[in-house]
Amino acid sequence: MNDMRLTERAVDATDVKISARKVQVYYGDNHAIKDVDVDIPDRMVTAFIGPSGCGKSTFLRSLNRMNDTIPICRVEGKITLDGEDIYDRRVDPVQLRAKVGMVFQKPNPFPKSIYDNVAYGPRIHGLTRNKAELDEVVEQSLRRAALWNEVKDRLHAPGTGLSGGQQQRLCIARAVATSPEVLLMDEPCSALDPIATAQVEELIDELRANFSVVIVTHSMQQAARVSQKTAFFHLGNLVEYGETGQIFTKPQDPRTESYISGRIG
Amino acid sequence: MTDAVAHPTPHSGSLLRQDERTRRRNNAERRFRLYGQVAIGIAIMALVILLTSVLGNGLSAFRQTFISMPVTLDAAVLDKKGNRDPADLKKVTTIGYSKLLVNSLTQVIEEEGIVVEGLASSDIKDMISDEAAAQVRDRVLGNPDLIGQTVDLKVLANGRIDGYLKGRVSMESAERDSNVSVNQLRLTESLVERGIIGKSFNWGFLTAADASELRPEAAGLGVAILGSAYMMIVVLVLSLPIGVAASIYLEEFAPKNRWTDLIEVNISNLAAVPSIVFGILGLAIFINFAGLPQSAPIVGGLVLTLMTLPTIIITTRAAIKAVPPSIRDAALGIGASKMQTVFHHVLPLAMPGILTGAIIGLAQALGETAPLLLIGMVAFVRDFPAAPPEGLFDPAAALPVQVYNWTQRADPAFVERASGAIIVLLVFLLVMNTAAILLRRRFERRW
Repeated sequence: MNDMRLTERAVDATDVKISARKVQVYYGDNHAIKDVDVDIPDRMVTAFIGPSGCGKSTFLRSLNRMNDTIPICRVEGKITLDGEDIYDRRVDPVQLRAKVGMVFQKPNPFPKSIYDNVAYGPRIHGLTRNKAELDEVVEQSLRRAALWNEVKDRLHAPGTGLSGGQQQRLCIARAVATSPEVLLMDEPCSALDPIATAQVEELIDELRANFSVVIVTHSMQQAARVSQKTAFFHLGNLVEYGETGQIFTKPQDPRTESYISGRIG
Repeated sequence: MTDAVAHPTPHSGSLLRQDERTRRRNNAERRFRLYGQVAIGIAIMALVILLTSVLGNGLSAFRQTFISMPVTLDAAVLDKKGNRDPADLKKVTTIGYSKLLVNSLTQVIEEEGIVVEGLASSDIKDMISDEAAAQVRDRVLGNPDLIGQTVDLKVLANGRIDGYLKGRVSMESAERDSNVSVNQLRLTESLVERGIIGKSFNWGFLTAADASELRPEAAGLGVAILGSAYMMIVVLVLSLPIGVAASIYLEEFAPKNRWTDLIEVNISNLAAVPSIVFGILGLAIFINFAGLPQSAPIVGGLVLTLMTLPTIIITTRAAIKAVPPSIRDAALGIGASKMQTVFHHVLPLAMPGILTGAIIGLAQALGETAPLLLIGMVAFVRDFPAAPPEGLFDPAAALPVQVYNWTQRADPAFVERASGAIIVLLVFLLVMNTAAILLRRRFERRW
């Protein structure tokens, strides 16, 4: 996509889906995320960019409490989803993760059939009443992930037998199948070749119609291509957050500018 | 560059000639490979020697010498009152039956016209195993209709006669042996020629109970096999669920703190505790404190469970640890609970490893002897334990203890039987390992 068009991209003023205030994340003594304030809008793609180790993945993982699985990790501050504090005592992380799905850096399909991979979420959450409905959900999710045409004849073949790009799209289909409200993607294209990356990016753009998508990426081009909002992280701080076009063309902070122009990172 | 006189770089020579360094490196590698081959050679040699020795000594135990002859079950001897009353029939002891067998054999010898000088009737009696009369008696008591008939029977020959046919006893050794005479051996030769004495497959070795020191020919592994099987059932039923549950908890749920570290270290230590210590523990707790019966498979099974648990826990934890964390993330990421993650994804993937661990543990338990000695399973048990679950509380023997028992006995006939029992034990282990491999294949193919 031509960078010049970035500024023309329409950004509608929409509702805030996830809001973070004064978020601190610690790994043991290591203060990984410092004072991050961010408002993630609904039905848009928000990209987190920044150099390696800047904490963007860590922050992403705290949005659906995946950091809970790391014993030494501690999150402070307030993160709300639709106005509800997700770190409230009463919140069950399992319920939260059904609403806030996640796609990981490395494609990680279950060693099961393609069908079972996609059907797993709806099954455990009891989203369908019978086999026909489940079939419907599986087909729809695979179509959304632009995978249906490639796998419709071998739904019962193992998901691990697909190519890397197909596996990643399968993982996206799996995440979509539970009909989450937010989809978190942690460098979803870093293990893919350019063609598969293009497919996944196209997919992300389509997903924005139904979900709020947050994507962590190393590639500034990718952020520029797919996102409406971009947040630049550096050394655990949120340096700059704004509309993608603005971040890439008129960055306010000198650090952002150095990173975008390739001087740091 | 001004420095025209170049220093010889390490790689300046021809590629077609190995330099000193490469040669030394290659030699080192070749030497190392040789060490490995020697090590494997030694291991294979040890295995071959073990197997030849065990098979060479033990295979003969599966064939036993029998005397085939028609025996008249004389009603005048077995049922004097003629009313076939079981109570009266039981009054006839094995001595009565023994006489019948001796008479039959004497008759056969006369009919065949075999003459051995200086042969006494006691010599003929001693050629038949003492166990034979008891076996015939049991058969008659079980089926009183046989009384009065003449039946073709295959009765056990005495252990020394069996030894003569197997080459353990010779004419020279018989001269020095009070249990067998040269005359008996001559008679045996004649009977073998006529096909009356001969070897055939020894089912009794696998099904019969142990026999006394004086009747090696009748000693079998039946009770020991049953006892070992019962213990394995107890071990499997207890150690697999407990071990797997403990490992899952420790690996997936338990907080990582000083307490779990302590538990972890102690489980590893437990795996290294000498087995005899578990025997003492079992004696103190299960028998003296809990009041469970001695020599019972339930106690043996409990003790072996304690021994097997660390093995199962360690291997299961390793198998769970080997499941890639990305699978856990994937499941958690779509909102599976911790338990769903473990049971739907982690456990199935860890299954092959868990099964291998369980079977290795069981195999170890099957061959364990020392703790069983302490809880009384070394006892001489003639009665078969009942069917489980009651049978778990009946006295029984165990295969490895039976081996130990037989090697203690004076009669050389027990050497072959001990080796035979080892063969049976090895076959069981082989079957278990094969089962482990097959199960693993099956579970792995599903993914």
